[in-house]
Amino acid sequence: MIVKHKKGTTLLILITALLVSFLLSVRHGAVDIPVKEIINIFLYGEASTNSSILIDIRLPRVILAGLIGAGLAAVGAVMQGIFKNPLVDSYTLGMSSGAALGAVISIITGISAGIFGLATTGVFAFIGSICTLFFVYSLAYNKKRMSTNTLLLAGVAVSYFLASVISFLMMLNHGKIQHIVFWTMGSIATASWSKVLAAAIAIMPGLIILMFFARELNMMAMGEEAAQYLGVRTALIKTILLLVGSIIVGGVVSTGGTIGFVGLIAPHMIRFLTGSDNRSVIPFSALLGAILVILSDTIGRTIIQPAEIPVGIMTSIMGGPFFIYLLRKQKLNKI
Amino acid sequence: MDCQIQIDNLGFNYGTRMVLEDICFSVEKGSFVSVIGPNGSGKSTLLKLITAVLKPKRGSILLQGEDIRFMNRKEIAARVAVVPQNTSIEFDFKVMDVVMMGRYPFISKLKGEAKEDVEAAVSSMRYTNTLHLADRSFMELSGGERQRVILAQALTQSPQILILDEPVSHLDLQYQVEILNLIRKMCLDNKLTVIAVLHDLNMASTYSDSVLMLKDGKIRYSGTPLEAFTKSSIKDIFNTDVYISVGEIGNKPYIYTLTKPHIESRNKSVHVICGGGSGSDIIKELYFDGYDISSGVITIGDQDWKTSKDYEAEVAEEIPFTGISDKAYLLNKKLMLKADYIVLADVYFGRANIRNLDILLEEEVKDKMIYIISDGTFKERDYSEGSALELYKKIKANSKVRLISKKELLEELVRQDLNYDS
Repeated sequence: MIVKHKKGTTLLILITALLVSFLLSVRHGAVDIPVKEIINIFLYGEASTNSSILIDIRLPRVILAGLIGAGLAAVGAVMQGIFKNPLVDSYTLGMSSGAALGAVISIITGISAGIFGLATTGVFAFIGSICTLFFVYSLAYNKKRMSTNTLLLAGVAVSYFLASVISFLMMLNHGKIQHIVFWTMGSIATASWSKVLAAAIAIMPGLIILMFFARELNMMAMGEEAAQYLGVRTALIKTILLLVGSIIVGGVVSTGGTIGFVGLIAPHMIRFLTGSDNRSVIPFSALLGAILVILSDTIGRTIIQPAEIPVGIMTSIMGGPFFIYLLRKQKLNKI
Repeated sequence: MDCQIQIDNLGFNYGTRMVLEDICFSVEKGSFVSVIGPNGSGKSTLLKLITAVLKPKRGSILLQGEDIRFMNRKEIAARVAVVPQNTSIEFDFKVMDVVMMGRYPFISKLKGEAKEDVEAAVSSMRYTNTLHLADRSFMELSGGERQRVILAQALTQSPQILILDEPVSHLDLQYQVEILNLIRKMCLDNKLTVIAVLHDLNMASTYSDSVLMLKDGKIRYSGTPLEAFTKSSIKDIFNTDVYISVGEIGNKPYIYTLTKPHIESRNKSVHVICGGGSGSDIIKELYFDGYDISSGVITIGDQDWKTSKDYEAEVAEEIPFTGISDKAYLLNKKLMLKADYIVLADVYFGRANIRNLDILLEEEVKDKMIYIISDGTFKERDYSEGSALELYKKIKANSKVRLISKKELLEELVRQDLNYDS
């Protein structure tokens, strides 16, 4: 009845691309590790300098990149669905900046110094993310009407404000500048297995929950009232999705800083390919997001060796023009 | 009677602004109820309360005997489906997916879609003639197609109650009729209960079993279209003068808005002697120009009689085939004396109505301005073997009598009015 092959093909391409980009990313870097050696290390546990680079540095970095990309893209897809605006994502809504501020506060106050450091940072990032989200939301929600433009403007304005608060905190805390810059630029250069674990705990269950509500999100695209008529408890589902989205963003930002535009680009490309059905848009966007961040990071750390471009800068360089293209495009309403 | 919706003493307000007050009504299974009222009268709020999108501040709503407050969204959606005003949001979904959304109240999250869900979708698409669109993108559809798909979605909910919020106001005429015909058919065939907000009074009149007329949050009038739609109720609700004609389509009232500039009364009255349709044009034209009309003697059921009634003329009437009784004769005379002008239409004369000529020769009537619509065919219209013609000649001899054509009549009357006034 429904032509599904388009979705099948897309899924196949995405999985292939993810495997290819994974391999590319594992192979290239400050030290190139030939594919043959990678296979040997994986299959036969061959111990060498390269094997510790691969297992302890590169592998966690690539996996973290994938998790972050998947989380950001899925959250972007869901936010666009909820707010019926193709230009929102965790970045433009200010959630990422809020999470970054939360993380920075946890660092400069020293709360994150203990054993549960990463978890504490994550919780602070989550709180920052959700507070910002509701603040931006309440700014845009005026007299029972929600203006999509206001939402975007409020998001950007609040982002700027939070960024300057972070800069101010940097000024006051010279000693920790290096540490803080990481949040503002978005970098996964310090990836480790513990970070991968933290990110996975925050992101993976969230992804599953987001996908679980894809059908409801589809129905809400017809308008919240229309969805209610069909039996959807919209207020409850919106709350769940926003909460889960904030948890994911908290997990992303506490492990990788603010990484922009992935949440914007990936869902948009997927919708272009397969239509608006969130049952495929959310998982496909997650896959594409993972691919984009893995590739951006690979390019960032190989293009001007021995220096590294933080992944957040890479995604912004690619995403900025894309955002402008979206703005200029006529069919902005298509979600 | 099988009561689908019972609303008691329902009230709603936004802050201090009263939106609905003392709403009481019930809807029987299989009936089509229209809600009519100007913008801001509370129609949409009423629909939102019935669908539990809003919670009532006062009163209660029973859905098939169950209090809506104790039902969850899915339970309500399994009984009540809504076709909203228009679905303007652009989203790139397959038509089939959009229709399948209607099964949401029935699909378990874990099991997914069952065969019967797909069957329900297919059959409602067949019903609304949208099956061929199943694989198209909803975004590419025309307004009429979209609305039919949304209707298919609502039907896929297999509702017992269908709620329509101005379902057709944005559609081309063809689709308006198509969709309302479909819904009406389901009322009759499947005992579907329909509550519709309709903008077009004539659509409401044509399709509804009963209407509720709202103003300022209260039900002002209700009943069958014939009972509820009157000149005065519509004037009250919409502050608009209308003319209502009954019987042109079934036994439903048909409402014409009066757009003529001076429907204001001229405070001049005209009595028309007519019958057999000879006076209808004259009555209508004079009415729309602000004259008060009376007519007689006409037999009940005659076309001129009907026109007179429609245009609020006072009529001296008589039972068919009996000739003019003294009672009718005297009433006719009374009306003539009250009138400023008398018009004799080009009516056929026979034994039954010849007294309508006699009357024009009465002493008291002679002072009146009498206009005879004349096209020189009186002879042919005389079926009284000459006696009518004789009377006619006598009448013509009166100095206050003028022969005139139908076309010139109105002009002449207006000229007379001006003389009168100055």
